[in-house]
Amino acid sequence: SSNEHKLNFKKSKDACLSYIQDALLQKQWKRAAEFLTCYVESLDKDYSREHIGPSEMIWRIGTEILWHHSQSSMKEFNCFMEQMKTLGVKRYLKVCLEHVFHLLCNGQIDEAYQNLSLAESWRFGEQTAIQDKEMKLIQAYRGLLDYYSWAKQKNILFENSEDGFSDLAVEQEMHGYFRKAAVNLKEIIKVPGVWDIFVKCYVDLLEFYGDHNEARQVLNEYAYNSKFPANPNAHVYLYQFLKRQGESKKSLISALKILHDIVPSHELMIDFNTMLQKSKKRKKRRLGLEVIFAALDYAGWKENAKAWSCLARQVKQIVISEKHLDWIKQEWNSRKDWWPAFHFSRYLAKRNWQENKSLSYGKALVAGILLGKGCKYFKYVSHQGCKAQLKRFRMLKKFVNRHNPVYLRISG
Amino acid sequence: MEFPAALFPSYFGAGPPQEEGGPAPVAGWGEHGQVLEGGPGRRQVQPAFVPRRGAMGERWEAADAAAVPVLLPSAGCWIPSPAPQDILYRSGLYGKLRAGKSGATLDFAKQLGHFFVDHPEDAFGSLGHLLHKNFYLGNSKLKVIVSRNSTIRMTALVEDIDRLEARRGCPRQHLASRLRWFSHLCRDWLFEVPLGVLADCLHEELMQQWSNLLFDDSLTGGALAWLPPEDGGTDVGCLVHPGGQAMNHLYFQDVVLEELPRTRGSPAQFELNGRIQQVAAARVDGQDFVGVRSDYHCGVWRVPGKRGAAPTALQVICTDVPACCLTVSPHLPGELSVCTQSGTVYLWNVETGLQQLRHDPQTMFFRDHSPWRWSDFTAHPRVLSCADRTGLQCLDARAPKRCHFDLFKVGEEAGCQQGERVVLPMYLGRAHPSQYLVTTQFSMYVLDERLPLVPVLKWAHMMKAPPLFAHLMPEKPGRSHKVLLGASRTQELLLLQYRDSFWGVSSGGSQSACQLAGTPQKLHSIAGCLQHLPTQLPHRHHLLQQRLTAPAAGLAATLQEDGPHKSMLIFQLSEAGDVFCQRLTHKAVQLPAPPLRDEATTAPGSSPLFEAPASSPQGLGTAALQYRRWLRALSRACREPPQHTWTPGLSQRRLFTRRDLEGPAGPSTLQREMRQRLRQAMAEGGRIQHWEPLALQPPPLPQTLELAGGLDTLSARLTAAWAGDWEQWWEERTSFSVAQRQRALRERRRRQKRAQGRRSLSASFTSSLTYQSELSELSDTGPSLLSPGCPPILSQEGSPPAGSPPVRSPATSAAPDETLLSSQSLRCRGIPKERRKTLRDYLSVWAEGPPEPPEPPGSQASQLCIPSSQSQLSSASQPRRKRPRMGF
Repeated sequence: SSNEHKLNFKKSKDACLSYIQDALLQKQWKRAAEFLTCYVESLDKDYSREHIGPSEMIWRIGTEILWHHSQSSMKEFNCFMEQMKTLGVKRYLKVCLEHVFHLLCNGQIDEAYQNLSLAESWRFGEQTAIQDKEMKLIQAYRGLLDYYSWAKQKNILFENSEDGFSDLAVEQEMHGYFRKAAVNLKEIIKVPGVWDIFVKCYVDLLEFYGDHNEARQVLNEYAYNSKFPANPNAHVYLYQFLKRQGESKKSLISALKILHDIVPSHELMIDFNTMLQKSKKRKKRRLGLEVIFAALDYAGWKENAKAWSCLARQVKQIVISEKHLDWIKQEWNSRKDWWPAFHFSRYLAKRNWQENKSLSYGKALVAGILLGKGCKYFKYVSHQGCKAQLKRFRMLKKFVNRHNPVYLRISG
Repeated sequence: MEFPAALFPSYFGAGPPQEEGGPAPVAGWGEHGQVLEGGPGRRQVQPAFVPRRGAMGERWEAADAAAVPVLLPSAGCWIPSPAPQDILYRSGLYGKLRAGKSGATLDFAKQLGHFFVDHPEDAFGSLGHLLHKNFYLGNSKLKVIVSRNSTIRMTALVEDIDRLEARRGCPRQHLASRLRWFSHLCRDWLFEVPLGVLADCLHEELMQQWSNLLFDDSLTGGALAWLPPEDGGTDVGCLVHPGGQAMNHLYFQDVVLEELPRTRGSPAQFELNGRIQQVAAARVDGQDFVGVRSDYHCGVWRVPGKRGAAPTALQVICTDVPACCLTVSPHLPGELSVCTQSGTVYLWNVETGLQQLRHDPQTMFFRDHSPWRWSDFTAHPRVLSCADRTGLQCLDARAPKRCHFDLFKVGEEAGCQQGERVVLPMYLGRAHPSQYLVTTQFSMYVLDERLPLVPVLKWAHMMKAPPLFAHLMPEKPGRSHKVLLGASRTQELLLLQYRDSFWGVSSGGSQSACQLAGTPQKLHSIAGCLQHLPTQLPHRHHLLQQRLTAPAAGLAATLQEDGPHKSMLIFQLSEAGDVFCQRLTHKAVQLPAPPLRDEATTAPGSSPLFEAPASSPQGLGTAALQYRRWLRALSRACREPPQHTWTPGLSQRRLFTRRDLEGPAGPSTLQREMRQRLRQAMAEGGRIQHWEPLALQPPPLPQTLELAGGLDTLSARLTAAWAGDWEQWWEERTSFSVAQRQRALRERRRRQKRAQGRRSLSASFTSSLTYQSELSELSDTGPSLLSPGCPPILSQEGSPPAGSPPVRSPATSAAPDETLLSSQSLRCRGIPKERRKTLRDYLSVWAEGPPEPPEPPGSQASQLCIPSSQSQLSSASQPRRKRPRMGF
């Protein structure tokens, strides 16, 4: 009966697929290719209602094989992709996009551009939501390639102007690329998402043509629109833009303050801390201490010598001035139960001393102030330092010994 | 760690997942996902792009054709966990009827029946005792006697039940009215535990077992840990694994890393109070902390960095609700996080104790029935992640109620599919302090806690079973990290490579986003070695298959660098407690045409493991050797289920009175006399023709001749030919008419009857014996008469020639047993009639026992000389445990 036939066909189809899968997972590309030629038959009798149909499977498997097969060429790959595009209407844009990605990764920028233009002009009935998204991505990538062409023309123009030429045609072409790129890039960054490269390129274009307001607006939107994910890069781009624009310290600090609230462990926190330390306002200096303490909470900062020296410097300043010891006390309160084990164990003292002397100097100073001269970390490092007859470590020992009462006030 | 200066583009949506779900067999292939400008060429005129997936990865190849056992199987046989066929209803018709509707049907009635049969005391104890006098199960008709009029015959009921069993699956079955009547009558009072309550409990248990068979999440995380050697130290690591029949022993086994890992010394062993479900380990300040989770207990051990130092147990906690997660902090010594199925998350510090961070029986983002929870550490030592099937949140232990954020949500944010659920989250801190791995049944995600909700990497892993185990092998910056994903039921193992960053151009020469490198690679599973093992006997093969296909229970791995050679060792633990290991070697050069050795070796049928070594002869040799040792140890451990080798040792004291068992102190006068004669005959080299007194001697049975001589015509013919009168033999044979044979038979039977009259042997014994001999005779084509010239040993009544040993007939050796059981002898012992059958039944049990070693001929000879007098039968010299040769 036809039902039984269907059942048997499905069985052998599934068996074939599992063989292919097995071969792919063991990197046996030739074997997989042989099985795939058999599997193509399943296109004839496609009874399945699964959400990944045989045509998509063939596209995926075939692509993977052609990426790795020792005897495949770019020409064959392109040929295969063209066939796959005609196979499924629903996945046309997706296949196009993947084809373009592969061309881009293989350095065939012009072919990729052609494919993008072709895909952009494709129309078939009403677009689904996914197709709409894919179309926007295709346009965005075309915009990106236009941007690169623009940048290339710009470089030629600069080189020529250095040589004293002025080429109007090149300039015209460059402006043309700008228009094409700007239109497409502007579209995609309106949609919520992570669009780091598109935003950067668009802002670069705008800045070149002096449209700083638009650039600022784009960056603000990208950073502060709540529909977008909390992307730290959005804040970093804004901060960098403000810096390029020579904005006031205040606006720079406020931009970084937001970044600090989102990602206390961001690497810009060192810049933020130095900026705050230089400030004359007490509140800002206080914030600086908070920022550096918070950064050092994170495992990724554990061996960051720069951060430890920042903290050591600020702690030293406070101890010498004997003002605002309560700042340290407050920061230390929430950390005193775990920082000693996390940062100041004897094991770490040994290892830091062996690996990075300046790191162990900074840490030893902080440990000596926060935990007193009896602290294991401080004792080990200062002992080793004195043994190695390093002057700064002898000074360190003296300093901590002299200010030992501070420890009692902090921990009390 | 710097945040990538540019991330791969992606859309960001909110809300429940849009994409229709379902397992997609090839969803992970052929996709770059997105591209980003990058690559090393800064000075190139054209921009260079790198893909999110499909970038070049390192090339790793399996060194052996299969995984090799590391440890020898422990003593004691492994009891496999229930299989679907054990608890599912198994009737073809029924199955078809129900398959369409609800899928599987649990065989509830069978399981309840098992309970009644296996635990009758618990099921019917007291009423059984009360009623057993009133229920009669015999076959004979019940006579109505005054004293027994309260007894009813239940045999018919039992027969009805048997018939019911035979008719199972018949759609038109009608319950026998008698059964219905009986069940109606006694349903309420017969059972020790009320039937309804019992059924509820059983049903609950069955459902639990079934859901465990479909997906058992108690093993999440895996029960195997590898404690690597100290930095720059020796090559000795430590394998922490469970073992024993109940998997309740914890072992710390030192392992030397060589071509194949080799155990060193005996392991440190701890016996725990429950089955070990998870072993987690982390290294803090050069010391390893090992957390062990069983259902109601969690414990933590400390292993000093130097190998060989003994592990010390630090603390144990006890939970009311089964614990489902235990992770060890990589930041602070002696700190762990524990989750229970009631939705509670604790931070557990060995010094300060438990701190409850959250208690919420509800799931976080949407409603899901699973009580499974998980928790792990993050880049901030005070911030813990906590997960359920719907997603992950991060909590600050200093203010858990106030400070938290969502890290991962099953929804449109991460581009999930409908029906997708979190299976295993893992902190990837050793590779990148702020990255996180989340696996679901469809995909694996890498998350960066600095950019929550948006996965920095997503890939459909296409595994057949959800990955319950994961292991990270971090690499130096610039090289790809390795992640292993492992499934339990299917034993799948997948090796993935990812880079947490690459050098980007668009980002101004700083680090760029996370990408998947190379293609995923399937590794050997434990069961895969089956095809390489030498051919086994079918039942051995079945045992081996069952053992090797046991679900995986854990995963551990380590990278090994030996100068230019890099290799990877992967350990896999099975539920049976076996630890298998495989080695991958790094191929430094990316060959354009990969050698096809792997395609050849993995073809079914070939077993390079035991054949000529290909690349590294030493390793293959060791692998084969290791296999042999393992197989030998396994067959020793699981030789036979013990109940078969163990002979039942029932006490006989109740069956016989002391007087019965008491034999004469010494040999009787008769025996003494006989022995003396025997000795004398032996000394003279003569023979004994007649035992005196004649009256007591059982006449040798006539059929012995037939048994001995009539065994085969060929020997008779050969004997005749040897004697020289073959012609005569042939004549006799052909002329021997049927009538003659019948006459001879009748004559013999008459003789037997006469002999029976004299002998004290039981009637049943003799009759059965003659019957058998007749059968054997009639089935024989040739006559049993012997020519006069045939050797005299075969003659029976005729006098054997001098010097030949006394005749031993096989039938007589059985005689003492039979007499022991004959009604007469039993009656003579004063055993009441009712108990005689019981006794016979009891003794017939021995018939099913294992074959006894052949007795030395001497003992048989002595039996022969013992007459069948009752007083001597139970003498001490008589072997009591003799099987009756014929059933009653």
